[in-house]
Parts: sequence; C-alpha cells; structure tokens
Amino acid sequence: MSSSSTALRELQRDLENKANDLSKLQKDIAKNHQVRKKYTIQLGENELVLKELDLLKEDANVYKLIGPVLVKQDLAEANANVRKRIEYISAELKRLDGSLQDLEEKQHSKREAILKVQQRIQSHQAGKAKA
Amino acid sequence: MGKPEVKGTVTSLSSVFPPEEMQKAAKMVEGKLSEKQNEMNQLKEFIADNTSLINLVQKLPDELHHDIMVPFGKAAFFPGRLIHTNEFLVLLGESYYADRTAKQTVEILKRRGKSLMSKVDALKAEMQDLKAEASFFDSTASEVADDLVEIREYEEDNSTERVSQSGPVELESPSVAEADNKVSASEDDEYARLMSRLEELEKEELAAEDEDANANATETETDSDEDELTEAAFHRKKVEGYSSLDHNQRYLVSQPRKQLQQSKGKDPMNEEMSTTYNHQDLTNQLACTGLTAEPVTKGNYGGECEISRGRIVHQDTKMLNPPVNASVPSEKTSLKQIIHDSSRNEKPVQTPKSEFDSSKAFTGSIIEHTENLEKKLPEQKTTSSQSSDSKPSKPVSRFKMQRK
Repeated sequence: MSSSSTALRELQRDLENKANDLSKLQKDIAKNHQVRKKYTIQLGENELVLKELDLLKEDANVYKLIGPVLVKQDLAEANANVRKRIEYISAELKRLDGSLQDLEEKQHSKREAILKVQQRIQSHQAGKAKA
Repeated sequence: MGKPEVKGTVTSLSSVFPPEEMQKAAKMVEGKLSEKQNEMNQLKEFIADNTSLINLVQKLPDELHHDIMVPFGKAAFFPGRLIHTNEFLVLLGESYYADRTAKQTVEILKRRGKSLMSKVDALKAEMQDLKAEASFFDSTASEVADDLVEIREYEEDNSTERVSQSGPVELESPSVAEADNKVSASEDDEYARLMSRLEELEKEELAAEDEDANANATETETDSDEDELTEAAFHRKKVEGYSSLDHNQRYLVSQPRKQLQQSKGKDPMNEEMSTTYNHQDLTNQLACTGLTAEPVTKGNYGGECEISRGRIVHQDTKMLNPPVNASVPSEKTSLKQIIHDSSRNEKPVQTPKSEFDSSKAFTGSIIEHTENLEKKLPEQKTTSSQSSDSKPSKPVSRFKMQRK
C-alpha cells in the first residue's frame, strides 16, 4: 500500500515537472511568435524603403537618422545598407522558423509524455481502489 | 410496389454542439472580431492622416514663404517664416530620409496610401469571415437552445431498383396518361439526378440573374419548365427585346426539358405546347387561378410580370386569334397535365425552396419519398380541383386523361 502510494506520489511529481516544462515551452513559442512578427514588419518596411530609394534620382540627397543626428549618405551606400539589412532580417526569420519547429515538436512530445504519466497514475489509482 | 425501407438517425443538436462550447466559441469569435475592428479603425485613421498630409503638401508650394507661429519647446511659439517651400525631407522608413520636391512627396504619400488601402481590404475580408463564423455560432446556439433535433433518413436500394425497371418501360410509352404511376416511380430515380443538376442550374441561374435586369424572382425548376416552353415560343417569334431573358431561361432549361421528355417522350407535344403556352400565360395571369402547376410558376410571374405582359402584347394578335377554340382547350389540358406531371417531378426537388404561397394548392413542406408521392397524388388531385374552381372542367378532364 505504502509502496504504491509513494509510487503514486512520484508519478504525480513527474507529472508536475512535465507540466512545468510544457508551460515553459509554450512561453518560448509565444516569444518566438512575437519576435517573428517584429522581424516581418521590419522586413516589410525595409522593402518599402528599397522601393523608394530605387525611384530616387542619382543625385538626390539621402540622410540617415543616427540617434539625434541626421547624417547625409550616398544613395548607393544607402541602397547597399538597406539590401544587407533585408538579407539579415530574412536570415533571422528563417532561423526563427526552424527554432519554432523544434519547439513545437518538443511541446508535442511533452504532451504525449504527460498523457502517459496521467494514464499510469490512473491505473495506479484504479489498482489502489481495487485493493 | 413494395414500400421502401427508410432508415434514419435522429441526433439532438445539443449532443453535436454542446451549448457551453458554443457560447465559448461565439465569445472567442466576438473577441477576434473586436480586435480586427480596432485594427481597422487604426488603419482608417492612418489613411485620413495621409490624405490630409497630401493636401497640405500640395498647398505649401503655392507661396514662396509662409508666415507661421513656430513651436518652441513644449509650451511656446514665436512668429516665423516657412521658407524653401518646395523642399521636403521625407521619411522613407527605417530611419532613412530623402530630399524631395512637393510633387515627389505627394507621389510617395500616394503610394503609402495605396498600401494602406490594400491592408484595409484584407482586414475587411477577414472580418467578413469572422462575422460568418459568428452568425453560424449564433444560429446553432439558438437551435441548441430550442432543442432542435437533426433527422436524417435514408432510403433502401430496393426502391431505386424498382424505379429503374419501370424506367425504360415508361420511356417507350408515348401516352402521358399511362405514365402516371411510372412517372412517380421514375421520379425517385430522377431525384438523385435532379439534385445534382439542380445545383448546377442554380449556379448558372445566379450568374444569369446578374446579367438579367429583370431578375427572375424564383429559382426553381418549374420556372425553367415554363421558361423552356416560352423560350421556344420566343425563338419562333424572334422577339429580340427579350434576348437577355432567353439567355436566362436557356440556362434553366436543360434538365427540366429532359424531365419532360423522359416522362412524356413527346417532342412534338412540346412544340404544340409552346404555341399555346403564351396564351395560357395570358389566361393564367388574368384568371389568377391556383392550379397546382401554375402556383409554382405564378411566383415566377410575380417576378417577370413585365415580361409576360410584353409577351402578351406581342403574341396577342398572333396567338389568341387562330388557335382560340377547339384546339386550345385540348392542348391546354394536355399542357396543364404535362405541367402537372413535371411539377410533381420537380416538387420533391423543391423541398429546400419554400417559394409556394400559402394560398396555392401546395403548402411549403413537401415529402420526398415515393410512398408519400403516391399518397400525394390523390391529394393533389383533390386540392387542385378545389383550387381551380373557376375552371372545373379542365382539371377534371386532365385527371381523366392521366388515368388512362
């Protein structure tokens, strides 16, 4: 009887741990989503900037706001910078996608493990009730 | 004929859609909808700001310099001048600025406005979907609250076999009267076909309805029944004014024509019918009788009374005079009987469409099975004879012909 109750307690602890892990995973996934959103918006904006820069004439003045300073920039330089930024953001997004996939898989497997533990607990309790 | 076995399932809606979950789902959808609404409001503000900015930018270069009150710090202004009125430093995004003229700035702003509009459209589409979801949830929630029950019935295959056997026999027989029982039998067999064709026709009709300014009111096949006949008449008379109507009618024609042919097997009959049918239009309209076939088509009349009036005007001289007496009554009765048959064919199909008025021979609910159809036949005969009191002779003769 006592052995079964300790086993039961162990199982329940196990269940708690797994539940905590699951909630952590879910938070990570939510963060991932947020960061992805931010990056997607930035990507959109940068593409818009690139479009406008392409429409500018060669001798047009382009400035960049760095802190409180508005610095004059070369059009070619600005173009190159914006393109690099777009590439960087897309790479980040891909990375985030990959990590999101991983997180989701982990979450899935955690859920299954939790289910199993729950089933074991139930069978234990059923066994206890019979005894 | 043996009775078809009917199997059925009765499911209470509350078991399929538990009420608490329905409410939760409804609330979730409402929440999402309000979110989208907020986004929509924000976007609309942006658009408004954008347009006012465009106006301002267009006005500034009108003067060489503007006298303005310049803000100074948080709470002060001093009088000053706005110079270089055609030079604008425009934010391109991501902390990049560019010097542009007023015109170029306006172009940039307009492009921004376009992208905003497209965002608004996308949001609208999303909101539409959400609204549809919400309405679905609401309706099912109310149904669950009313303890409505979903009933499904299935017929056995025996009945269809029986029908198919009688089918070929019926096709061969030329006389419409004989086809009475067989028509009802074949109706089962046609029922499945009817349903699938009905959907196709509906789609076509909707497409045609958009084109047609007169916008036929009803969508049932009985309309097409009538329409087919009238269309044939139109083609003969070459009434150009109704060419669009012809198109509309043609779409609806295909299936019921087959129906007619299958149940009657008489193409020449149709031709004859068409000649006198317009006459019948007139009489029906004027007499306002409630014959079983006509009530269905009457709904159609309501929608296209202009057209039928027009028809009458054209055909009045031609149609009424020659065939007036002897030929007309007999053809009329056969006509009506055919319409009656075809309407019986089509009646089971029309269950989803409640376009019958309560004043007509049939009320809205129609039973779909052969057994019920058979029961219906005597009903129809009695009700039709009651409703058509103004023309007692014709219904009687029609039924007599059927029984032959």
